[in-house]
Amino acid sequence: MKKYLEYIWVTLIVLTIFAFLLGYLKYISTALVAVLLITTFLKGALVTDYFMGLKDVKLKYRLIPIVWLSVTISLIAVAYYLPIAT
Amino acid sequence: MSKSITLKEKYPPGDFAIWIIIYVELVTFALLFLGYAFSRRLDVELFNGSQEILSQTSGFINTFILITSSYFVVKAVQNMKSMTKENYKEFNTKASRWLLFAIMCGVAFLVIKVTEFSHIFGLGINLSTNSFFMFYILLTGFHFMHVLLGSVILFNIYQKTKIFGYTPDDYRGFETGASYWHMVDLLWIVLFPLVYIIR
Repeated sequence: MKKYLEYIWVTLIVLTIFAFLLGYLKYISTALVAVLLITTFLKGALVTDYFMGLKDVKLKYRLIPIVWLSVTISLIAVAYYLPIAT
Repeated sequence: MSKSITLKEKYPPGDFAIWIIIYVELVTFALLFLGYAFSRRLDVELFNGSQEILSQTSGFINTFILITSSYFVVKAVQNMKSMTKENYKEFNTKASRWLLFAIMCGVAFLVIKVTEFSHIFGLGINLSTNSFFMFYILLTGFHFMHVLLGSVILFNIYQKTKIFGYTPDDYRGFETGASYWHMVDLLWIVLFPLVYIIR
């Protein structure tokens, strides 16, 4: 029997531990925020594709949450990295 | 030469109405996430200082819990998909066990969140304390209500599995509730790093 759901769960947990350690050890640098946002996108995509089951559905329905994730995370990155006018 | 063709489902799992609700919820939360991210730019030091009060550990545990509960729910859905007319009672029972674990995770999330809220409110913090806490209370409070509703939905599905209410021809209601629960998980996956980690 395929164990892909277990692999997805482990991947999600490992990425969550990575995010937590960055914050907990106060190791969150400006560059690492980009990595953190990319891993957040990956986690979201795994949930929509494999947990919600959208990988087996027509592309347009699969794309809606992916576009949502892309736009939301990109704009969070813009808010974080855009220079603040003084 | 053989060619493999993967047939795609025409519509997402569950009732289509739940997907309209899910899309609306995603947009609503996106606006709150962006409101937080752009408000942070106005006073980065205030946001970073206020964030120190939050417990990253409880945020992490809650993320772990929600991801795991989502895994339990998808295992239950797998059982539904494996049903035949001969064995549907057995698979209803198997699915109910997975659902029970998921509900327990939902309750654990709520208990941890209530503890976190008690700590925050105990410090005299409220919606008008500052912009960070206004967004924190709105975002996590709104999400809390979704977990509460999701847990009630899962409990209703659980009760139906106990009376073997789902058959190979009709388990759409099960998938509808499962889709809602995964959305709750998806929202927290974005919320956790944004509010608890990024500084």
